[in-house]
Amino acid sequence: MNYAKKLMLFLTMALLVVAIQFSGLVQAHEEKGADKEPYVAKTMDIYEGFPDWYSPIFKDNVGLSEGAGLFKDYYKPMAMQMYMSPMRHYEPMDILDHSLFIEKGRRDLCIRCHDGINTGAVDDWKGSAHFNPRKTDLIARKTKVIEESIGREIVNVDCFDCHADTVKNEIRMPNAEICSECHERQVRQFNSEKDHGRPNHIQAMEANVLVPWYAEASRRGWQAGNGGCDMCHGISTKCDPCHTRHSFSAAEARQPKACMTCHMGPDHPDSESYGESKHGIILEMEGEEYNFDKPLAHVQVGEDYRTPTCQFCHMYQGGGRFTHNFVSKGIWRMGTVPPSNIEYESSLKDYPYGINIIAPKIDLYSDENLDKRDKWIEVCSNCHSPRFATTWLEQLDQYMFQAFKITDSAQLIIDKLIADDILYPSVGERDIYPLGDKIAELLPASLIGDGVYNAFKQLGGKVPVVGPILGVYAMFYQGENNPSLIETEYAKMWFWYKLQGYKGYAHAQQDVMWWWGQAPMLMQLGKIQSENMRLRREHALEQGLEPGLGGAQPVSHSKSEGHKSAPTKSGIPVGNVWEVDELDY
Amino acid sequence: MAYLNGKKGISGKSNMFWKSFLFSAIVAVFVSMLCLGNFASAGDRLEGKDLYNKYCAPCHGEEGDGYGPLYGALYPKPRDFTKGQYKIRTNATGSLPTDADLIHVISVGVHGTSMMPWDILDIDQIKSLLPVLKSFSEAWQFRKPEASVVVGNELRATQKTIARGRELYQQKECFKCHGETGNGDGPSSYDLEDEWEIPILPYDFTRGDKFKGGATNKDIYMRFTTGMNGTPMPSFANELSDEDRWCMVHYVKSLGEQKSTKEHAE
Repeated sequence: MNYAKKLMLFLTMALLVVAIQFSGLVQAHEEKGADKEPYVAKTMDIYEGFPDWYSPIFKDNVGLSEGAGLFKDYYKPMAMQMYMSPMRHYEPMDILDHSLFIEKGRRDLCIRCHDGINTGAVDDWKGSAHFNPRKTDLIARKTKVIEESIGREIVNVDCFDCHADTVKNEIRMPNAEICSECHERQVRQFNSEKDHGRPNHIQAMEANVLVPWYAEASRRGWQAGNGGCDMCHGISTKCDPCHTRHSFSAAEARQPKACMTCHMGPDHPDSESYGESKHGIILEMEGEEYNFDKPLAHVQVGEDYRTPTCQFCHMYQGGGRFTHNFVSKGIWRMGTVPPSNIEYESSLKDYPYGINIIAPKIDLYSDENLDKRDKWIEVCSNCHSPRFATTWLEQLDQYMFQAFKITDSAQLIIDKLIADDILYPSVGERDIYPLGDKIAELLPASLIGDGVYNAFKQLGGKVPVVGPILGVYAMFYQGENNPSLIETEYAKMWFWYKLQGYKGYAHAQQDVMWWWGQAPMLMQLGKIQSENMRLRREHALEQGLEPGLGGAQPVSHSKSEGHKSAPTKSGIPVGNVWEVDELDY
Repeated sequence: MAYLNGKKGISGKSNMFWKSFLFSAIVAVFVSMLCLGNFASAGDRLEGKDLYNKYCAPCHGEEGDGYGPLYGALYPKPRDFTKGQYKIRTNATGSLPTDADLIHVISVGVHGTSMMPWDILDIDQIKSLLPVLKSFSEAWQFRKPEASVVVGNELRATQKTIARGRELYQQKECFKCHGETGNGDGPSSYDLEDEWEIPILPYDFTRGDKFKGGATNKDIYMRFTTGMNGTPMPSFANELSDEDRWCMVHYVKSLGEQKSTKEHAE
């Protein structure tokens, strides 16, 4: 009995202990459950707010099997595209299967191996805020904000967080969507560039591959030359063009040099014009005194920056706000779209030729543009008087009006050559417009307008196109006799020199304003006029020599039966008749 | 709980019931653990040559000659197994490594190189790699690995032992390769090659904890004792006494510490 009693006591105690432990367990479990759900990474859709057709052709990963954009089936991306546009084209390496490390969550192993391979990348990371999210007080405060927004404590951000796809168990190449897990606000701001239309960063990939000469280059075996295009235009889904790997520093991206690898050269000499302006030169002389660690919104003009940077002006949204939207104040855009505020004599008056997916002419004095101008004056007035700023901008406008007038007179010369069937070789005798044989198949009349659609359909792509913006193909493609010399000279005139003068004005570089601007534009106009005279003279001589015609009737160069030569005759506008360069959202 | 009030006592029957319940519960837990364990690794559990080809060959090559597809990206270069020369061992210089040496290196990796610790593999998988490694070199047919060196008691690091180490560093001309200050920049350092005629850098002691064979005192002692086969680093087992080798350990470690104290001061 005694034995049984003792046992009973023991068992009761044991039960009690178990019960207490169990209740503790339940309590602990509940606490855990109430505290936080298991962390699930949330990322934003980089193409949020875009039309439905956009993601399948620009975003969905297809590796290197096909291209991007509407012409995706007409070119194969070059292998480097997997790094330039990883969201669309990245393929994980096949030499060493990394799934084991991801499956077992061994984030500690990455640098053990990669320190011996990509030492520089590892070292960059070790100096970054990702390695030490409390590196400075400012970064610690920023980290706290991120922690609160994602609901998770951040000890550090390592290789695994960005490069491991734990769903597919494979290595991924990060893109802006991956970054948006923590930096959603910035990616969302970047996405908002779409609201202002192109040119912008978020649609830069479109500008790269939706232009028909990209796929045409591939067809002609010239694709490797496009490598430079890919390097800049991949920015649409990436953050590292400005915040370079693997430091991802905000302070670095606040410096003008962050922009300059892309924003330079003959079509947009931003680096050259800003860099040699007083703004840029003072930065170069006194750069050490500039405080790039400060967020732009907290920059004390004069104290932190003596002159403005690219970022300070172009990221300014008015009212003291700065965001990752660089185009919201763009009035003249890249300087390619004709203004509606001047009269045209050439076919530019019909711009955009009934094409629905193209931005109409710029009304410089629309409410929206006047509002943008106010914001510019607000920025400039940080140092200059408002009158100075206003007058400067008005003079910039005058330059652009003048430049478009010169453009107009050049275009008129070529329009007339086409109308008189003197352009040599004639449209019927030359190669097609880039990818011109496919355009009517790929782009319906509802998008490009009946006139343009019919022209491409009937003429199989042998359509004369000059001037803003699709006449720019002369810069990217030279088919058999297409374009001819006069058209190429014209393209240089408006796409290089007009834009260079514009950048000279916009960034206040006096030498660029004149010697890279109006001066060479006028020289081009002279060349175009001479070429016009030569073509007409040769045509007149030819007429005199043509037997049986007595020189009275014009000689047509358009001998090809299958092609009607001058589109004007079939009611199609002459000149710039097709463009896919602007999509209307 | 009536049966616990003593009237029924612990009958054999109920005892059996609890026993069998407990037993079945234990069995159930055990079985389920086994099953879970199997599930976790069932996906891709390779062994031997297949395992080698998947994870080792990308660097070391399918033939074990060190020319895997990633060869070009790596420095130090991946080991060529065809000569049977292994740097990190616990036995006399020139010997093949013991199985334990190989398992150790695979499990903990080689610091300062891309050879990471493969403890992600289980011990049987690692063991299954040894015949593969041995198949690459004829040396394994003709020679047997010698027994591991027995490490005696460690001499403590004192000012005296470090000073003795410094003396020996000069005497044995370590500085010729490793440099006066231990930065790995001695006069001979620029022309060194290993047995594969690949340029090789003497270790920079100021890097602190990146000793290839491990950074514990015993690891470093072992390098002085066994040398590093295939490299210009000789064994000092015959030239230096056991005590002297410990002094060397403490001296070269002090070279790394000097830097870290300097860094802190900055």
